[in-house]
Amino acid sequence: MSSESTRPAHGRMALTVGIGVAFLAAYPLWGTVYGMSIVQDALILGIFALSLDLLWGKGGLPSFGHAAFFGLGGYAYAIVSMQLGNEWGPLAGLVAALAICALAGAILGVFLLTAGIRGALFLIVTVAIVQIFHQVAISWSSLTGGDNGIVGLPPLGLRSLSEHAVLDTPAKRYFAVLLIAAAALLLLDRLCRGRFGRRLAAVVDNEPRALTLGINPSLELTKTLVLSTTIAGFAGTLFVASAGVVVPEFIGPLFSIEVVVWVLIGGRGTLIGPFVGTFVVWRLSQEVSSYDPRLWQLAIGSFFVLSVFLLPRGIASLRGDAARALFSRVARAVRP
Amino acid sequence: MDTLPLTILTALSLISILILISVGMAIIFGMMNVINLAHGEFVMLGAYVAVIAAQIGGFWLALAIAPLLGAGFGILLESTIIRLLYRRPIDTIIATLGVSLVVQKLVELWFGSSPYSVMNPLPGLVDVFGTPYPLYRIFVIGCAAAVLLLGMIAYRSTNFGLNLRAAIQDPEMARAMGVDVAATYRIAFGLGAGLAALAGVLVAPLTSIFPGMGLAYLIRSFFVVIVGGTGSIGGVLAGSAFIGFFESFFSFRLGGAFPQAIVLALAIIVVRLRPKGLVSG
Repeated sequence: MSSESTRPAHGRMALTVGIGVAFLAAYPLWGTVYGMSIVQDALILGIFALSLDLLWGKGGLPSFGHAAFFGLGGYAYAIVSMQLGNEWGPLAGLVAALAICALAGAILGVFLLTAGIRGALFLIVTVAIVQIFHQVAISWSSLTGGDNGIVGLPPLGLRSLSEHAVLDTPAKRYFAVLLIAAAALLLLDRLCRGRFGRRLAAVVDNEPRALTLGINPSLELTKTLVLSTTIAGFAGTLFVASAGVVVPEFIGPLFSIEVVVWVLIGGRGTLIGPFVGTFVVWRLSQEVSSYDPRLWQLAIGSFFVLSVFLLPRGIASLRGDAARALFSRVARAVRP
Repeated sequence: MDTLPLTILTALSLISILILISVGMAIIFGMMNVINLAHGEFVMLGAYVAVIAAQIGGFWLALAIAPLLGAGFGILLESTIIRLLYRRPIDTIIATLGVSLVVQKLVELWFGSSPYSVMNPLPGLVDVFGTPYPLYRIFVIGCAAAVLLLGMIAYRSTNFGLNLRAAIQDPEMARAMGVDVAATYRIAFGLGAGLAALAGVLVAPLTSIFPGMGLAYLIRSFFVVIVGGTGSIGGVLAGSAFIGFFESFFSFRLGGAFPQAIVLALAIIVVRLRPKGLVSG
């Protein structure tokens, strides 16, 4: 019964994604190369936000240090691909990035989640983890290039297969990223509506009850964590390979906060919400930061504080009709 | 060459700073269960008060003013934002994160992002067990010990201490017995903020002062409370000793930013092995 009721919902998601892909696929017809690179970066960061939403929105595990895995993937790609050269380097770099991020997720999951670390404690540990990774990235300069990072990274692709199988032009990169982003969104949506998603929802809802139903809560959460860190690392790889550079900011605490903002504003637990949230908020942040980089954090900080007063049901309620309610509330508040 | 006394003394001055910051964290996070991501900003504000005081010629003035300002800011934060959110933990985290970002950026707009330093107000050396040691660090240790002693006396044997213990143990019952729980929480929050600001002044001559400096202290104080165990002064002492000792120990041997990373990793391992902390059961 439940599978029948979830089908149309997945259909709606597929329709939304389809319209989005069709629009963005047509965008190069009128967009500039610069505009395409912005959309492409937003799509990659959207995949990153998706990975956090899977962990936090679906798995109930708040990570305020998720850039640790975005950056881990980016650095793994940079280090391996620079070592091996343009022939096999990019492919090996991608594989290394995915493997090390999956491994990091698995180690953390087995180490922390099986010990029953959840909620606030998990959140604080993730803040510490990104701090550790950030300090290692800065200090271990013989490997990571220290504060300057690593520049001149090769683009993703498989040069040994064909000269054309390399994402070395803006157009190729743009369409590849668009396809990957749409596929990631649809696959994760499928997964969360399927057997895995329902088991996970049972764990998040009530762990002891899930346990009595024969579900191993720590195992389900660890799987979610591994999937999330791997996707975050994949996004990091895509980002640094297209930018050609990796810097410590990508693995830092501030970037971790940014992705939390995208997920919260987009709507935690909706998957497509964080994607859209990233598009809107990241674009806005670029605009505001080009004016004065300090203003953006000031704006985000004020928004967080105000949201407490304006949105008593939490930032997550800031969606659709809730937004209309917000405006009427503001209107009432400012009327004398 | 005998570096052991030196290591221990350096560790003790870091431990002293951590204790001052973490007493507030222990009350706010450990006992009231509020995650305040702006706690590091109290330390940062204290350090900037020291910068201003040193510029107008009186570092010692900061020791008197910063705790009052910190406490005032803490009480303001509690009564405008945190009070509304005692039942909404995720929103508390987000709102205090917002406060932290705003305060950092306002300080950056005012002072700029380049780091400040404060002249050491007690430049002399003293002889400790045959090793010359900076007088100022001895002063820091003495300050922390005095404040801690006063705090313990206040917690154990004043009316406010009694009210606070009652409000934390069983707020409903405390309210029924006529304790103003809301006011008690507010004052406790203010005291914790004031102590963190005091620690910010004390640490100012020992470190570089920049708008984002609070983060490292925020994370350390969280781990002091988690590693030490919530709910007791002993936990704060044990947690501060753990973090402070290992950080100084590795700083002597490695230098750079690695020591902090190693200590955080160690702390995560302790959290895994003893989720309730070192001092408890």
